[in-house]
Amino acid sequence: MDGHFNAFTFVNRITALQPGVSVSGIYFIPPGIGAFPQSLVAEALGQLAAWAAMSAVDFKSRPLAGIAGLVELLAPVRPGQTLELSVELESVDSEATAYRGAASADGIPVIRLQNCVGPMLPVEEFDDPQALREHFAVLRGNGSMPGGFGGIPPFTFSRNGGEPGQSALAALQIPAAAAPFFADHFPRRPVFPGALLMNQNIQLAAAFAVEIPIMGQASSLSDGQDARPTWNLRSISDLKLRSFISPGEQLELEAKLAGRTENSATVIVETRKEKKLAGSVRVSFALGGNS
Amino acid sequence: MWTADSRWNEIMSNENITKEEIAAIFPKVAETMADALGCDVEKVKLEASLIGDLGAESIDFLDIIFRLERAFKVKIPRGKIVEEARGALSEAEFENGGVVSEAGVTRLKSFLSEVPAERFKTPLKVAEIPKLFTTETFCKMVIRQQRSMAAAGGAKPA
Repeated sequence: MDGHFNAFTFVNRITALQPGVSVSGIYFIPPGIGAFPQSLVAEALGQLAAWAAMSAVDFKSRPLAGIAGLVELLAPVRPGQTLELSVELESVDSEATAYRGAASADGIPVIRLQNCVGPMLPVEEFDDPQALREHFAVLRGNGSMPGGFGGIPPFTFSRNGGEPGQSALAALQIPAAAAPFFADHFPRRPVFPGALLMNQNIQLAAAFAVEIPIMGQASSLSDGQDARPTWNLRSISDLKLRSFISPGEQLELEAKLAGRTENSATVIVETRKEKKLAGSVRVSFALGGNS
Repeated sequence: MWTADSRWNEIMSNENITKEEIAAIFPKVAETMADALGCDVEKVKLEASLIGDLGAESIDFLDIIFRLERAFKVKIPRGKIVEEARGALSEAEFENGGVVSEAGVTRLKSFLSEVPAERFKTPLKVAEIPKLFTTETFCKMVIRQQRSMAAAGGAKPA
């Protein structure tokens, strides 16, 4: 199967479109994959917004991941479910598109996006405009064949420093250009998807959150397993991607405690390449009882 | 239509934007910028250069503009900021081969009156104009849009 419109595509059909205003669609999560993280549901909404924005500007420019003001993570999804996606475009022009959106799985709300902004860049730099037009027509018609996504690729992701409860450092090796998702994201210029980076950021934040002391105790780890809190992922906010990440690049991730209350904690994760800030995100957790 | 008539030019002019108007919105603009840049609000001074002093990048400009739009319920014309700065000058009069003309620099110095003269490099490239922007530049941008919306019978400024 050709990777284009398959390997990293999360819209199977556009069910309604008000040009430049709103768009709805569906995506069938392949049943055979190991997991489908919530960051990919956010990606599905971003891709739906991108189709609406590209069609509004006649496929001359396309939005790329830039800013997500707030992503509320309401419920997990699992392979085999059908996502119902809806996006409202707040604005679209040659510079940027702004949108909000929501996704449900089998009728249950799973994600809400607010205050998202994608900078618009020339389509030709990333993809064939005619191929995009033709696939858009397929999506608006009977839809595309489900099952193209083969699952999250394995990454070399290793924790390599930090102060327990204060910060955590990790190295992330971006796969080479031969990784299947690069054929789809994007054919003319492979770019590491922001949603996959978001997923790695969340994983580091979650691993770090376990070390955050319970209020009134010196360390959550000092009292043994019974005192270890369960931090439930609630939302991510102020996600900002500052530069393209290319195949094969080496990234450094750092998670830091940004704030906490008795029942919640916020972790900032910054991503750097060659010491320069490439992205940042705030990950919020709520205390969910002892594990 | 407002475009190109004298009332529009008056609305888009800096000349009648008062210090009091700027002072009135500055705290909210500073808070919005601090949120976008992830810095302490105390760092966002009125005269701070967004790029030079606050380390803003192009994605931060987009972020700031969208946050200001939401905070003040205005529409800021993205991509037209330089066009707005150009005023009555045609593109050919304003710049040549990406370099701002002498007349263009004079016009910019008037439009960006809050920017100290020594920050205008010679020659000045069009692409370098955003390096001149300060917090006050964005305060004035908001005030102009509030005025244009009020003049067009839009929502009362937030």
